[in-house]
Amino acid sequence: MSLVELVLTVVKILIIVMFFLNMAALSTWADRRQGAMVQDRVGPNRAVVPLPNMVARGIVLLPPALFGVLSIFTSLGEVTGRLALERTTVNVQLAIFVTWLSLLVLCAKVRSGGAINRAERVFEDVDPRSIFFAGLGVHALGLVAMRFVTPQGAPMAAKITGFVLGAIFLIVGFYATSRVPEGPIPLRLAGTLHALADSIKMIWKEDFIPKNGDKVLHGLAPILTVFSAVVVAAVLPFGNDLCFADGNRNGTLDFSDLGNLVATVPATGQCTGFRVPLQIADLNVGILYVFAMTGTGIIGAAIAGWASDNKFALLGGLRAASQMVSYEVAMGLSLVGLFLVYSTVRMGEMSAWQGQHAWGIFVQPVGFFLFLAAVCAETKRVPFDQPEGESEIVAGYFLEYSGFKWGMFMTGEYIELVFSSALLVALFFGGYNLPFLHPDGLTVAFGDTVLFQYKMTHLAVSVISVLAFFGKTILVTWVQVFFRWTLPRFRYDQLMKLGWTKLLPLAIANMMVTAVIVVALRNAGPAAESWLKLLGDISQGLVAVLTLAGTVALVVGLLEPVERHKFLVTSSARFAAALGGVKPTAQEA
Amino acid sequence: MAKRTFGTNPWTKPGSTSAPPTKVIARPRRTAEVQAYLPEFFRGMAVTMKHFFKNTKEMVLGQKPDPVIESLNDGVTTISYPEERRPYAERFRGLHRLTLRDDASPRCVACLCCSTACPAQCIHIEAGEYEEGDPRRGYERYPKTFVIDELRCVFCGFCVEACPCDAIRMDTGMHATPYDSREQFIYRKDLLMEFTGRDGSRKTANTRHEPGDPTHPGLTREQGEH
Repeated sequence: MSLVELVLTVVKILIIVMFFLNMAALSTWADRRQGAMVQDRVGPNRAVVPLPNMVARGIVLLPPALFGVLSIFTSLGEVTGRLALERTTVNVQLAIFVTWLSLLVLCAKVRSGGAINRAERVFEDVDPRSIFFAGLGVHALGLVAMRFVTPQGAPMAAKITGFVLGAIFLIVGFYATSRVPEGPIPLRLAGTLHALADSIKMIWKEDFIPKNGDKVLHGLAPILTVFSAVVVAAVLPFGNDLCFADGNRNGTLDFSDLGNLVATVPATGQCTGFRVPLQIADLNVGILYVFAMTGTGIIGAAIAGWASDNKFALLGGLRAASQMVSYEVAMGLSLVGLFLVYSTVRMGEMSAWQGQHAWGIFVQPVGFFLFLAAVCAETKRVPFDQPEGESEIVAGYFLEYSGFKWGMFMTGEYIELVFSSALLVALFFGGYNLPFLHPDGLTVAFGDTVLFQYKMTHLAVSVISVLAFFGKTILVTWVQVFFRWTLPRFRYDQLMKLGWTKLLPLAIANMMVTAVIVVALRNAGPAAESWLKLLGDISQGLVAVLTLAGTVALVVGLLEPVERHKFLVTSSARFAAALGGVKPTAQEA
Repeated sequence: MAKRTFGTNPWTKPGSTSAPPTKVIARPRRTAEVQAYLPEFFRGMAVTMKHFFKNTKEMVLGQKPDPVIESLNDGVTTISYPEERRPYAERFRGLHRLTLRDDASPRCVACLCCSTACPAQCIHIEAGEYEEGDPRRGYERYPKTFVIDELRCVFCGFCVEACPCDAIRMDTGMHATPYDSREQFIYRKDLLMEFTGRDGSRKTANTRHEPGDPTHPGLTREQGEH
């Protein structure tokens, strides 16, 4: 392993670890917040840092100023060809986006706090909704307008749009800074500071060890839990393989080559230079490594229960151990069908397969639900949280833990949550792939009929793929958090019955049926293959259309005014309403 | 299976043998759909998400006041505790303090009334004599040590009522403070003398005539010797 590979690996580890740790902290917040939002409360919001006014102004000014200056500086250089076109598109869209967002914020500010000058008075009567829809329209217009940019005019267009973008950034930054109110600004960040406050608190709390507990094992258990939760992420592919050209033609990848990211790669993703997978370790055992490492998490929970010298903790540890061992079986077997279809256990190849054919959830729907149930049980979260069932055994295996050791169990649980989401994404939701996005750009094709094609650079595709992977992971985490606020806990015998008599037989049946179908299709000839290709493309189209429809429905639904119905339940309320009512609006009732 | 009969219990009054009217409660339906769990799972998720989006929408659109801002409004019973404090009643019994005289010595004469009155037995006083030549010698003693275990204290205020000199008061306005060790709850004389009342004063409002003071109504040393 050369030095440059070592450095790249360290960078990749940093990206993954930072993502998982930050997401763990954020999801502890999101968990409470979402649960509260369901019940029409906001959840944790008390953590506050009073920012000195100058610091607040600096925070408001710095990013836009930085982006503005950066945009102007990058526009000073010469760009040609497709890069110029892409840069123009990005500049135009970003400029529209920034203007749009700032106008929305300004409008909301004016409507809530009042106008301070003549320009702002314009916004007093404007509905923010109309600004929103107008912005969407301008975005679309911007895309259409790109059709009129000729390849010869592209470099000049990139330059001009870059300057305009920079100017917009600077104007927005300075105006926003001038509108920062006087005095210290309370920084709440929607309650996310609670995770930070909690971690500070946990560091300083007393580290209590039971008198008759096992001191060494008591300390070892949380380490084992966090270790197994973090280390599994090593095989997650979080983006397209990067392809670097051999700039100095010495046959090895060195630091000077890192600037030579190839401009484009063919649709097959072939790389003539050096291929750098965005994956910490491309192990040939792939997913089996994940199973092996999550298996060690059991030891952490069991040891914690044992070392605490507490009946409830021991019961929790026992429950955790038996539950995780039971579901490990179902979890492994539910994926065998997937291995048969993908004909590999390497995570990178699995993601690539899904990009070329169809997402895992379409080829293995039964396997998906089995795996989802098993992986929920593995993370020991509701509805499978008997190991820490508060109503029965106080807090389960980490009952006797306090301070940062307890924090490590909690962090481990949330890292497992995020990791299980990442695993679901990598195995069933196409990994880093987006529908119709191939290494050479966007190609909407069904079978051999190409409907639409848009070539993109390797850099753009790679960035989009990384964003897609992390975005999907966040989305799946968000959905998984809702499990907790929806489902009641299983009873312990129900849990065991579900694992051994439902999931396990179903997984075996799924495996056998898949094997038969896979063998039948492999021997069916080229006609079946082309039909499968068409079906795969249709599934991709389905995902694209559903995502688009869902986004539009969400945005339109969120922007529609709320209609609140008054329910007059009691006779006295009806009497009061007949007299003209005592509460002016339903909100105050 | 034998039919259950009523009224055969020898421990109760002999009654009628007819069964009381029973209300038949249908067993929850356990159709294949329910047993499959997934449809119900999706239904439950839909309910949760519906509430989530509805509440998010009201908040985003500003149709409902932002609860974060709203909770800071006047008239809201929920207070933002560390930044805001609920005002205590005028006669709120807070942590103790020892009131001082003009020369910054404690008013306490170590009569042990407070520690006797204390139902929690949390006050410990060791009395000491003033030195020879001190004008107060012979009139009164002073506390060599004055210790209150605030962890044992039940804040009944009996000590304040028992004190003949108004030397111990509970008008600091401070509520019991959390500490991380029991030792820190032991308040000694120096600390108790440092606390001020809610008006910021270390003295008492009930002025007292000092020995030697011409307005002192009690016995003087000379009269005492007679």
